Amino acid sequence: MYRRNIAMTRHLVISTMNDLVRITPDSVIYISSEGNYSTLMLRDGNARIVTVQLGQIEKMIAAQLGAEGNIFIRIGKSLIINRSYIYYINISRQQLMLSNVETFSYTVAASKEALKQLKELLDSEVK
Amino acid sequence: MNEQGDIRDDEIRIIGSNLPSDPQPPVSRLRRVIAGVIVVVVIAVVAIFVWGGRGASNEPLLSAEEQGVEEVVIPEIFDPYDSGDSEDIVIQPETGRFGSAVDSLVRGFCEIRDMSMNDVPLRIYIPHNADMTLHVGKLDREDSAIIYAAEASFIRADNLDILGAFVLAGEPLAWGLSVRGYCSSIGGEVKVGVADNSPLFEEAIERGGYFFRQYGLVDEGVLVENEPKNKSIRRAICERRGEIFMVESLNKESFHDFAQALVDLDIDNAVNLPGSEAYGWAVDGDDEVHEFGTPNFYTGRGKMPKNTNYIVWRRR
Repeated sequence: MYRRNIAMTRHLVISTMNDLVRITPDSVIYISSEGNYSTLMLRDGNARIVTVQLGQIEKMIAAQLGAEGNIFIRIGKSLIINRSYIYYINISRQQLMLSNVETFSYTVAASKEALKQLKELLDSEVK
Repeated sequence: MNEQGDIRDDEIRIIGSNLPSDPQPPVSRLRRVIAGVIVVVVIAVVAIFVWGGRGASNEPLLSAEEQGVEEVVIPEIFDPYDSGDSEDIVIQPETGRFGSAVDSLVRGFCEIRDMSMNDVPLRIYIPHNADMTLHVGKLDREDSAIIYAAEASFIRADNLDILGAFVLAGEPLAWGLSVRGYCSSIGGEVKVGVADNSPLFEEAIERGGYFFRQYGLVDEGVLVENEPKNKSIRRAICERRGEIFMVESLNKESFHDFAQALVDLDIDNAVNLPGSEAYGWAVDGDDEVHEFGTPNFYTGRGKMPKNTNYIVWRRR
């Protein structure tokens, strides 16, 4: 008798009045805030704008993904990043580069203090 | 863990984790402790003052209304960062732009939008069906073709020349490089950026275009720090995903806070325009003129410098 194991990948579902985005967490590189809108920058190079504030998306991630949501880090008021893609941090230039070092590379800006804390967090995880 | 919305731009938070995820340096915590102590002290002082006042006069405490005075509402003074994200920014979903989609046959006008970003109230002027040029000297306020005008380059205090390179309809009037921000309008295309050298200066000369320099505020989405630390009404010309518009702060802001608000608005490039009393105006879709600055600033202050210059958007 064969037993079929189906690996169930958790999806993040962002649902609004008019539309719904269903996506695996590792497909999201970062999410930026534009007031009442948020832009999901995806691994395939597409950007998806949703009419949901960044704080609400943060709540959805926490509620739907639980501890698995910890691959996402909120940075200041305007940004959520997928920590899997952190490639380069430059505090003085306020640069955070998100890349898989193969097919995509995005540079986002954050405050020096936030980048300092992010660097400390990553440093502490390798010690 | 903090509440979801309770985050400042200088903080980070791991989502979906109850682990200690707040690697704030001691300084940040100390700041909060100090803020807490200040709150307690202020409350104590107010309580003593009120208690003492009542005790001395033996009169019942009257409300502000009963006393016939205007009640003063104290704003959030202890954590100005804790106001949440802005809620009045509207981006056109079909274009991703701030400005409305306007038919090319519509008479040119300036769309005026008020919004705020992280407690910095801003007014955005989006020109439609108009082209940008530069102008040197006094502007004709009766020119009905103008839908937006604002001062462009600074004037040097020592020799009253234009600060930084300047090209007027292909004619170079100044060559300075002391400020790194630039804005050009060549063949109907406006570009904004920050660079020590820009080929657009030469291109403006060759093609009869316009070019000026100013302080850079945002360079490829990154805040540019500038020396002056004073607060003032700030103005800028900006480029965001190819959309060109002007922004004005409605309150006095430092260069840093103004530029940070522009960065938070996801603006790619921005250069400064003279703020404070510098005069200008915009004409909206109802032909209503909205002035800013002081129109008669030079009255009683001496003659207006002959090199006073403006960016001018005119209807096509």
